Amino acid sequence: MIDFAELTTEQIDITSIARRAIPSECGATVTLDGYVRRFTRGRETLYLVYDAYEEMALKEMRKLIKAAHSKFEISNVGIVHRTGRLDIGETSVVISVAAPHRKAAFDACEWLIAELKRTVPIWKKEVYADGEEWIEGEK
Amino acid sequence: MSVSVLFFGATADVVGKRKIEIISATSTQLLENIISEYPRLASHKLLIAVNQEYAADTVLLDDGDEVAIFTAVSGG
Repeated sequence: MIDFAELTTEQIDITSIARRAIPSECGATVTLDGYVRRFTRGRETLYLVYDAYEEMALKEMRKLIKAAHSKFEISNVGIVHRTGRLDIGETSVVISVAAPHRKAAFDACEWLIAELKRTVPIWKKEVYADGEEWIEGEK
Repeated sequence: MSVSVLFFGATADVVGKRKIEIISATSTQLLENIISEYPRLASHKLLIAVNQEYAADTVLLDDGDEVAIFTAVSGG
């Protein structure tokens, strides 16, 4: 198994993450590319800052990967989340799930991002033209 | 018990530090002490982790434990 969970302050190379997670029995990889949105509920974001409780975030990400293996017929999972300042359009999170068949990969990827947003201790600060706020919980 | 308390995001901004040392016997008592010292935290819904595990109920603290106080997460 070549699962991985990482945090990085560098730009994320989506393709290389997707390719790292492919064993020979697999036929499909589903990759989520989450990136910085410019407009949220009509308000313009200039950039984002992500803060993370790094050790716990990595632990929680590994827990999610383990749980995904028991829930879905998948082979490998890679999760990389960026921290620090991100400009509009930059990738904040990548989740790649490789599986023998695509449906399990789609289902697992959706489940993983929903759980990540609920449990992994990472926080997003929206910086607007006229102020900034830490986002608390999913919005 | 002497423990480290870590803050992130909104709680770090309110406290003005990312880490303090405090003496508390339980996670619940610790949270009460921190809120009385930094009352602006009370306007947030706070979560607590002890040694990098979510603590839904009261946890007895040991010397050297790592406690973290933060708001609902918003990664992704």
